[in-house]
Amino acid sequence: MTPCTALRGALEVVAWWAVLFLLWLVLIGTVDTLELVVGAAAALVCAVAARGARRAVGGR
Amino acid sequence: MNGWTATATAVLALGGGATVWGVATGPLGRRVVAQNLSTSLACPVLLLLAQGYGRPSYVDLALVLALLGPVGTLVFARLLAEDLEGDPPGARAATYAVAVFGATVVIVLCAVAGPGRAMVKLLVTGALLVAGNLVASRALAGGFSGSRHG
Repeated sequence: MTPCTALRGALEVVAWWAVLFLLWLVLIGTVDTLELVVGAAAALVCAVAARGARRAVGGR
Repeated sequence: MNGWTATATAVLALGGGATVWGVATGPLGRRVVAQNLSTSLACPVLLLLAQGYGRPSYVDLALVLALLGPVGTLVFARLLAEDLEGDPPGARAATYAVAVFGATVVIVLCAVAGPGRAMVKLLVTGALLVAGNLVASRALAGGFSGSRHG
């Protein structure tokens, strides 16, 4: 893995994380610190999974 | 009883009855299309009921159904692909009618909710509902048969 592809992968995970975290913020009932922490952590896990899924579907 | 629950009941009685009739009778293509339309119809009904009962958290039910309904139809489309290949069921008019109904319900509820997070949630649900409905119908009609990876 070259630094370029690693950077691109990290950027993709960050982009997925931002989208998923925004979705979480919209869908929860009350916004407080615990919700934000849980949402940020769950969004990170899902962002990595989303990148893996996209690569699997794309065949790369 | 208010306008929301009355509308939901009417749609559930007419549309639900029609889809149950479609699922229970006729050839395979008609049954699978009716099954797909039943979830697309139940989702806006749940949105109307959530509004009618004044319980915003009930919108979650519609959200989950909007997500899982098309997924279930895609499983049917995959499993029945060989049986549906000869005569792929296309129900364009019914699909668009249900999509327009869902979009109308979401737009009306958004107008009632006003700007805010609740409105964004409704829009997400509506987008999932309409897009899922169209994708699932297209899959049933054989629209993706060229993209089988295995």
